[in-house]
Amino acid sequence: MKYEPSPHDSNIRPSLDESELEGTDVKNSTLIKSTLETNISKNTSIKNNAAPLLGSLLKNLPGMAYRCLNCKDWPMEFVSEGCFALCGYTRSDIEEQSVLWGKCFTVPEDIQRVENAIVSAVNKGEPFEVEYRITTRNNEEKWVWERGRAVDFRDGNHVLEGFITDITDRKLAENALMHEEAFAKAVVDTVVEAVITIDDSGKIDTINSVTQEMFGYTLTEVKDKNIRILMANPSNEEYDLYMSRHLHGEEANTASEREDNCRRKDGSIFPVHLSVREVISETSQPSQNPQEVRKFVGLIRDLTARRSAEQEAREQREQLAHVDRLNILGEMAISIAHEINQPLTAISMYAQSGIRFIDSESSKIDRVHDALNKISIQARRAGAVIEHIQQLTKQQNSRHEEIDCNHLIREVHKLAEVEANLRNMEIVLDLVPDSISALKPINCDPIQIQQVILNLLRNGMESMQSNDFDNGNEITLRTLHDDKGVKISIIDTGVGISKDFAERLFMPFSSTKDSGMGMGLSISSSIVKAHHDKLDFMHNDTTGVTFFFTLPYTEST
Amino acid sequence: MNRSDIGVDLDKEQIAYIVDDDEAVRDSMSMLLETIDLPHQCFSSANEFFEYYDGSQKGCLILDISMPGMSGLELQEKLKESNSLLPIIFITGHGDIPMAVEAMRRGALDFMRKPFQEDDLIKRIQQAFDSEANTRSARDIKQLMLDKLALLTSREKQVFDLVTEGQANKSIAYDLDISERTVEVHRSQAMKKLEARTLAQLVRIKIYSE
Repeated sequence: MKYEPSPHDSNIRPSLDESELEGTDVKNSTLIKSTLETNISKNTSIKNNAAPLLGSLLKNLPGMAYRCLNCKDWPMEFVSEGCFALCGYTRSDIEEQSVLWGKCFTVPEDIQRVENAIVSAVNKGEPFEVEYRITTRNNEEKWVWERGRAVDFRDGNHVLEGFITDITDRKLAENALMHEEAFAKAVVDTVVEAVITIDDSGKIDTINSVTQEMFGYTLTEVKDKNIRILMANPSNEEYDLYMSRHLHGEEANTASEREDNCRRKDGSIFPVHLSVREVISETSQPSQNPQEVRKFVGLIRDLTARRSAEQEAREQREQLAHVDRLNILGEMAISIAHEINQPLTAISMYAQSGIRFIDSESSKIDRVHDALNKISIQARRAGAVIEHIQQLTKQQNSRHEEIDCNHLIREVHKLAEVEANLRNMEIVLDLVPDSISALKPINCDPIQIQQVILNLLRNGMESMQSNDFDNGNEITLRTLHDDKGVKISIIDTGVGISKDFAERLFMPFSSTKDSGMGMGLSISSSIVKAHHDKLDFMHNDTTGVTFFFTLPYTEST
Repeated sequence: MNRSDIGVDLDKEQIAYIVDDDEAVRDSMSMLLETIDLPHQCFSSANEFFEYYDGSQKGCLILDISMPGMSGLELQEKLKESNSLLPIIFITGHGDIPMAVEAMRRGALDFMRKPFQEDDLIKRIQQAFDSEANTRSARDIKQLMLDKLALLTSREKQVFDLVTEGQANKSIAYDLDISERTVEVHRSQAMKKLEARTLAQLVRIKIYSE
């Protein structure tokens, strides 16, 4: 039904007995009938003595009684005093139709819904009931409840009478509740845990979708089955005990957490974090005992991923600690350089000063003595630094152990491989068969020997890099058994070592590298010496050099 | 132009301040500077020097870059904050190159790696002294000129500005709407206060004050 602006709108007001309304609010029966659902029939006059009562009743209604035409914007012919509290306008504002209910109050989005509700009820001759929003004079939005019915038909429009009251508080509470429920549902749907409810005999009642994924069961497969089918063996008996403690009130705390193992449908076992909480609720089914129903909610979190992450982290830490130990050599070299640099700087300046004193032809010649004396002191200081280093390497010799040489080499290979990859190089392992190596363990300090091998590999790789891999990018790490022990060789295809340099190769502070300390080979050499052998090298037939040393077998073999 | 020409007497007391935590390095450097009679003073830490420093120090700073306590770089920052003009020559050990680069970026005059060529060190100290004297005299001269200009009345300053722009007395008188005679009086007052005898000297004062 379409509401058109009624041409009769202007005629509505005269039909009202204004003097009556002004005086006693209202004496019209239909309004009361519609509002209070009395059975007084239409057009029955209210007894005169009832009028003051009705007037006072209407005045005190917690809302607004009205009469209007069911046409566009519902022009009001009559409203009760309650209108001011409801929408902030006085009776005369509304009754004179300077404000129209549909146009000025009803929230536009709601108008169509209200119209539909009214029309469908009116067509069936029934009262209508509708909830919608209005905007008050203060621009406040209120939820209202309206109940009314058609009481007359005049000039092509139904005349409606009814009652409107403020239900904002109730609506807000309802909305809050709806949000809460939606939120709770969303939480259960999105948790990563399996959520399972069981009754007090341990039978599974509900499971969420995560449970199905985690265990591989569907709800029908586990419904009413004992929760034990989800648990791994060892905790089965324990579980019954646990339940009975709960039921007999021995466990005062109704929530408990622990780590446990669960079993999937396919039989595989996995680690979980389990937390159980007891939920007590009154039964609502009359068939059951009207006692409290004991229910348990269990949350199960799969720890498989976390466990493996922990394991990985632990392995990485161990690896790093190992690398740290091996890098001591490099760090030592830097601090040695600093320690040696200071006396060298001083020696150089004292020497220059001495020369200048001599050249100056002045009376400063006696200062030369002082300068020379100080040079001597600083030279001894530098010597002491080197001695200190050598002692350090000797001190570390105490941790000799029996070890499979192949194992040791593979470990150092793993570490050096990372560096080789960065340089686009490959380390080729050429080892004696594992079976033989395992039979003849060697005796050494594995960390020190790994330092030596790592250092020699680095030198070789740098040497090969400096000739742009002219002879390939493979560096070989080889072991050979002979009667004394295991001979370890590091074979590169780099630039080789000049005759001049070869003489001071193992001396401290001799280096061919721009950034080199010249300490690596010197320290490596003293480590090998402490293992009763000598670090040596030879030129390869084709290109590059081979560094080698031999580690003794353990004495018992 | 000679500095005495414009009434500035530079303090010749430039000192090489050596800051290094290593006693031997300090002592040997001290002996080296003694051979050429170069005034110097040693400090065993950046802190010690910073406590001594009051802004009046002239010369240069020879600063070890990595020291326990306040580092060389930190001292450089602190001196910069106190508007120090002391040029800094950093001395660095092995592995300090990134720090030295940073020091240069922050305005250090130079850096040298230990151990170094002694002749080089001496040469660089002398360069630092020259550079410091230049910066300082430029700053001092400017300040002196500004001080003198502050003595002029506003009318004398107007006349001074127009004279140094090259205007004749007659046109100045026209510009300022005063008599030529009055311009002459202001001009000679200004020259007296600025201790200038010639127009050329007035122009120099103008240039140095800018």
